[in-house]
Order: sequence, then structure tokens, then C-alpha cells
Amino acid sequence: MNAFDEFNPLSVFVYFLAAAGIAMFASDPVLLSLSMLGSVLLYCIRTRSSQRGTHLFSLMLFIGLSLINPLFQHNGVTVLFVLNDNPVTLEALLYGISAAAMIVSVLYWFRSFSAIITSDKLLYLFGLVSSKLALLVSMALRYVPLFKAQAKNVDAAQRAMGQYREDNVIDAIRLKLSVFSIMVSWALENGIVTADSMAARGYGIGKRTCFSPYRFRGKDALLTILTLLSGAAVCILMGLGHLDFNYYPATDPLLFTPARAAAYGAYLLLCLLPSLIEIGDALKWQYLRSKM
Amino acid sequence: MAILEIKDVSFTYSGQNHPALSGVSFSLEKGDFALLCGATGSGKSTLLKLLKKELTPLGELKGRVEYGGQSVYELPDAVSASCIGFVMQKSEQQIVTDKVWHELAFGLENLGLSSAEIRRRVAEMACFFGIESWFDKRVSELSGGQKQLLSLAAVMVMQPDILLLDEPTSQLDPIAAGEFISTVAKLNRELSLTVVMIEHRLEEALPISQKLIALREGRVYAFGETRKTACALQKDSEFLPYLPAAVRLHARFDTPLPCPLTVNEGRRFIEAAFDALPPAAEISPRVHAEGKALEFKNVYFRYAQKLPDVLRGTSFTLYENEILCVLGGNGSGKSTMLRIASGLSKPYAGHVSVFGKRIRDYKNQDLYKNCVALLPQDAQTVFLRNSVREELKGVDTSAFPFDLTELYDMHPYDLSGGQQQLLALAKVLSQKPRLLMLDEPTKGLDANTKAQFANIVRQLRQGGASVLIVTHDVEFAAEVADRCALFFLGEVVSSDETRAFFGTNSFYTTAVSRMTRDRVANLSTVDQACALLKDHRRRA
Repeated sequence: MNAFDEFNPLSVFVYFLAAAGIAMFASDPVLLSLSMLGSVLLYCIRTRSSQRGTHLFSLMLFIGLSLINPLFQHNGVTVLFVLNDNPVTLEALLYGISAAAMIVSVLYWFRSFSAIITSDKLLYLFGLVSSKLALLVSMALRYVPLFKAQAKNVDAAQRAMGQYREDNVIDAIRLKLSVFSIMVSWALENGIVTADSMAARGYGIGKRTCFSPYRFRGKDALLTILTLLSGAAVCILMGLGHLDFNYYPATDPLLFTPARAAAYGAYLLLCLLPSLIEIGDALKWQYLRSKM
Repeated sequence: MAILEIKDVSFTYSGQNHPALSGVSFSLEKGDFALLCGATGSGKSTLLKLLKKELTPLGELKGRVEYGGQSVYELPDAVSASCIGFVMQKSEQQIVTDKVWHELAFGLENLGLSSAEIRRRVAEMACFFGIESWFDKRVSELSGGQKQLLSLAAVMVMQPDILLLDEPTSQLDPIAAGEFISTVAKLNRELSLTVVMIEHRLEEALPISQKLIALREGRVYAFGETRKTACALQKDSEFLPYLPAAVRLHARFDTPLPCPLTVNEGRRFIEAAFDALPPAAEISPRVHAEGKALEFKNVYFRYAQKLPDVLRGTSFTLYENEILCVLGGNGSGKSTMLRIASGLSKPYAGHVSVFGKRIRDYKNQDLYKNCVALLPQDAQTVFLRNSVREELKGVDTSAFPFDLTELYDMHPYDLSGGQQQLLALAKVLSQKPRLLMLDEPTKGLDANTKAQFANIVRQLRQGGASVLIVTHDVEFAAEVADRCALFFLGEVVSSDETRAFFGTNSFYTTAVSRMTRDRVANLSTVDQACALLKDHRRRA
């Protein structure tokens, strides 16, 4: 079990919102590198086993995205070489690399996010907004597989009665259409019984509460506070223009002003939080096991 | 004091002239376990729905339904929702949400309880029902029996005083059904829950119930303490088929001995009433045809490379003009075997031949032309049209041993379970198959419909068809089959002529066989037992 998965979904959601959100709006190469570091590290720790395919795909994507920009964007003062009468500039290449880093790192954040926030947890988050919405999503999640399974059964039943004729495409399409139309009747029919079952258990008699098996514990509060503090620090500094970084026409020099250093420190903490939690948990178990 | 009192209730559905219920009166005490029985269309379901405000159908109601002295229609919403629980026939349709824990919490959320209270009640209920191990699962991953237990638990978390159940086990296999009924019995016994249950499977439910209500054409035909009422009903040919085998056996003899309800009591009754019994009933050997309608030779199958084998070297033969019943537990591969025999799935090793020709050599849908047809478990999957007339368009129904003309203007989904089964059969027979395969054909059918279905199958056999039936229903198999085979973990472990098959099995056999086996071998149905026993009455 991964330690970070055990946090309250709301805290986890806020965390990913902050980490990936800042990466999406950052242009500073150091921030993007930190995002890359944190997201890849978290993904590797969580999945443990080798995910060579995923990493290879990400690398190809990174290279591809980096190279596309200089091919189409000819801004910049440092010309590397000329291709088809168009200058390929260093600035455009650097900008391409930073954009690629943004996209690839956000992808990694989302990979971890979708693995941690399962449908249950997503539902809990919906429930915080509206209990009706949460129920609707839950019913949809139940209904779609049911509908698919029944459609498959109807299709198999028709096949086993010899209703499909291999040599006639029109006939097959017509049969598929009838299957679909009866499935609509079936869904309505089913829906009526489900509605009865809901009414029988008191649906719509008053204000619903929304139960969830997740509690909000001290460690969830701590995670959220750390996320909000570090995230807010980066955002404020970004908003004040301390983290602006221009690629065109000439790339800005990287100056380590105190504001920059503070932002880097805060974002480093933010990006490494889940990895630190995972590592801390692993060490704790190592220690506990040695005591056993 | 009566917890539930029905006073002279009559009900007519809106738009109909004929009342569905007329002058129904009875009352139940707290802690009563009442069974409601009657033929299809006798008003059982209507009556049960009238006991629950939220489910009352549209129509004209006369009389009173009282819960604890108050009309159920005047109960506050929250009281009505929580105090009277209702479990439906199909758990698939009853379950609302996608996760087990969410389904358990659903009713309590509706009542607006706090998270802490919901957590406590859900935890309690999960413990009582033994749901912990699948608490976090998706509903779609559960077995049929688990789904129905979940439906029951999701109602029980609301702490009802009265539990109404509408044929809750009709879609379950016998093991899951037995488990479900004993859970209901436990709730009744330990929590003094008042239960009203419509049930076809009286073999298990009748002995544990305290009251029996028999309905006939919308009227209470008999009502009272179970044993007394069952004994009274055995004189009535309409209700007799619903009663347990012990009662049916007792009904054939004019005897002063008390009426037995269970297998054990039935065995004692036989001991007391008959003597000088032969060690075994004679079985006249059956000669089967030479031709093979279906042959499996060492067939192996799995659904995906990484999954375990479902069929592991299955071998059996269905001879022409024969009825073969394949019995076996859930997940033993019976239904998969039918998929393969009907060409829906292909095995990765072994031979399957139909009428002597390899199944893979049937090209261009020839397999389905006057050859093979499969009636699936869920009859609804066969229907594609909006009326029975359209379903049967172009089908010559005159040759069928049953009649559907009365139902021509109805929507297939509005038919009763038995009628749906017959319509599906008619559609399947329209291809004039020589080999007919039936998957759980008696699921959800009442005793009379089942007997009718057994007759139809026999007539089809007489018409020259070969029939392969996959079923859990041992009583039906004993009635109809020429030969039976037992499926276990993807293999046929035994197969024999029906009477010998049930005569040698000790557990997987009929109630009559279990009653008689220590005195006479090879008896599996009430008819067979009567034919033999009638000459051996103990003289007083």
C-alpha cells in the first residue's frame, strides 16, 4: 500500500492541483525542472516495478515536442543553422524544451493522480460539491457496464439463434439496429424498477447527506497546509513578476535573486512532498521490521 | 398486538375492469414469518406492493392496510421508508450505485443521517451479513447470490420492522438461494423481524415459516399456521405442485399419519407407513439411438491466455433423440460448454462435433440452419421487437406444443417470467433446430409453469429433437431427462441414466431420493415413489 494514497482525497486533490497547476503556468526553467523531478520521482516510487514503456514514450514525446517548436518558430537572435531558407534558433529550441518539460511533467502528475484518485475518491470529491451529482455519477458508473453486458448478451443470443447471416452486410446492420432499439427499451424498463427501489429506500424525502468512508485526519490537514503554504508562496512570487522568464528575442539570464531562491525552495518542497512521504513511510517500516 | 393488519382490501388497476385483489384480510404478529403463495396472476405481487406506500401501483384501493394501528399510506415518509423494507426479484435492477459500501449507505443518506451514524450502521450490517471481504468491491464483480444479499443488507441497514420480499431467490442457484433463505430466517429468529415473502422454492422456505397465505384469483384461499395450512392445501390440486415433495408424497395416500414438511419428516413418514419394501426399484434399461447429436472430446477452453482453464478436457456425448441434463455448481463451466456447443466460443484444444460433423466445418451460418439453437438463460435477450406479434412474424406457431395467441398484443417485457420463457422458446424453435440447447430454463418459473415446460420439452423430443439442458434444478432434471451428467471444474465427472444417476448420488439428488434412499434405491420423483410404495402399505 502506498502511503500517499492513504491521505484524504481532498488533500490529494488540492496537492495535485497546486503542483501541476504551477507547472502549467510556469515559464521559469528551474521550476519546470523541479516539476519534472517531482512528478517522475513520485511515479517511479509509486509504481516500483519498471515502467520502461511509459518512460520511453515520455522521452520520445519530450524530444518530439522540443524539436517541433524550432522548426516552425523562427524568432530569436542566436541562429544555429538554416533549414530550407528558414533560420533555426537556439531560443526557439530552448522554448520548445521548456514547453515539452511542462507537458511531459504535467502528464506524469496526471498519471499518478489517476492512479491514486480512484472512481470512489472522485465520487467523494463530487459529493463535496453536490450529493446529487455524486449519486448521478455513481449510478452512471453502475449502469454503463450493465448496459454493455446486456447488449453483449442480446447479441450472443441472436447469434446463437442464427439471426446473423454472414453473407449479408445490410441484414447484419439492420439486426444491430434492432438490438440497439431493444436495448433502449430495456434501459427504460430497468430504470423504472431502479426508481422504485430508490423510492422504497426513501430517496427524495428530504435533504440527503453524502456518506464517505474517508476521514479528514491530522496528517491530511498537515499535507493541505504545507501544500497551500508552499503553493501560495510560489503563486504570489509569480504574480509579482519575480519569476518571469523570457525566451525571445534573447533568453534571459538566470539570476538567483532572493525572491527566486525562495520560490525555488517552496516549489522544491511542494514537488517532493509525496515522494518524501513515501520514502519516510518505507523507512518507518524498515525500522519497525527490524524491531519485530 | 398485530403489527400488520390487512382489512378487506380490494384493488383494481387503473384502466382495468377486473379487480386484481378482492376482500383480502389477514393480520400478522410481530416476529411472524409469512409465506405468500399462489399461481401467476393470483395477485401476490400486487398485494405485496400495497403493503409499501412508495410502491403502491396506480388504481382504485378499498379497505385498509395498517402498520401498528396506523394506515401505511398516512405514515410519514421517513418512517415508511425505514420501517417497511422491500427486496425485489432482480437484484440487478434493485441495486442503485456502483460500489458495495455506497449501496449500503444509500438509504441512510436519503434519511439524512450523519456520517458517523451511517458508518456505525453500515459496519454493523456488514459484520452481520459477512460482507467485509467484499465491502470495497464494485457491484459488477459480485456473484448473483452476493448481489441479492447486498440488496437485503441495503434494506436492513434502515432497521425495518417489516421485511417484504418478492421472489428473492428466483434468479439464484440452489446453494445461493438456500443461503439467502437461511439469512432471512436468521433475521426473523434473532431480530424478531416480521417477514412476508413470496417464494416458489417452498422446499426450503416452508418448514421455517410460521404462517402461510395462499392466494387464488385475488382472494385469500387459505391463511393460517404453516403446517395446518399446508396440510389443508394438499387436498387442492392447484396448490399441490407448489408444496414440498414430502407433502406431495403424503397427499397421494389416504393416511391418518401427520403431514410431513421436511425431508427428514418425510423419511419418518415412509418408515411408519410402509413395510416390506424391495431394496431397489427396478429400472427398465433405455436404449439410445446410434447417431450422436453432439460430441465433446477432450475439449479445453479459457477466456484469455492468462486466465485459468474453464473447460479441462470435457468429454461427453448427447445421442440423437435424447434429453441430456448437465448439472453442476456455479462456475463449473456449464454455461461456457453451451457457448462452445452453439459456436459462440471456440475451444483451444479438443474436438466438438454436431451430428457427426466438426463444428468448425459448418460454414456460412449452416450451424444455425435446421441444426443448432440455444435458448439463453435470460429470455429477455432473445426479444428485439415491441410486441409478441412482431416477434413471431413469419414463424409457424401451429406446430408448437403451446399457444401464445392470447398474448399477441403485449410487449414481450410485460409478460410473466413463464410466458417470456415460452415466447423465447417459440422464437428459438422458429429455426427448426434438431439440437436444442436450454440454459437454466426453469429459472424463476413456478411449479405449474415448470411442469408445463417439462411437457413441452418431452414433446419436442418425441418430435425428433435432441435436447441439451444445463440446469441447477435437480427436481426438473429428474422429471425430464433421459440421462444426466455432473459437471465439476470443467469436466464431466459422472454421467448415467437419470434414475441410476440420482440413485447413486448422495447429496446432489432430489428430495424424494433423499427421503427414500435408505429404504429403497433408485426413486427420484414423487410419481416413481408412489408407483412403488402403493403396494407396500403397512397394515394397521
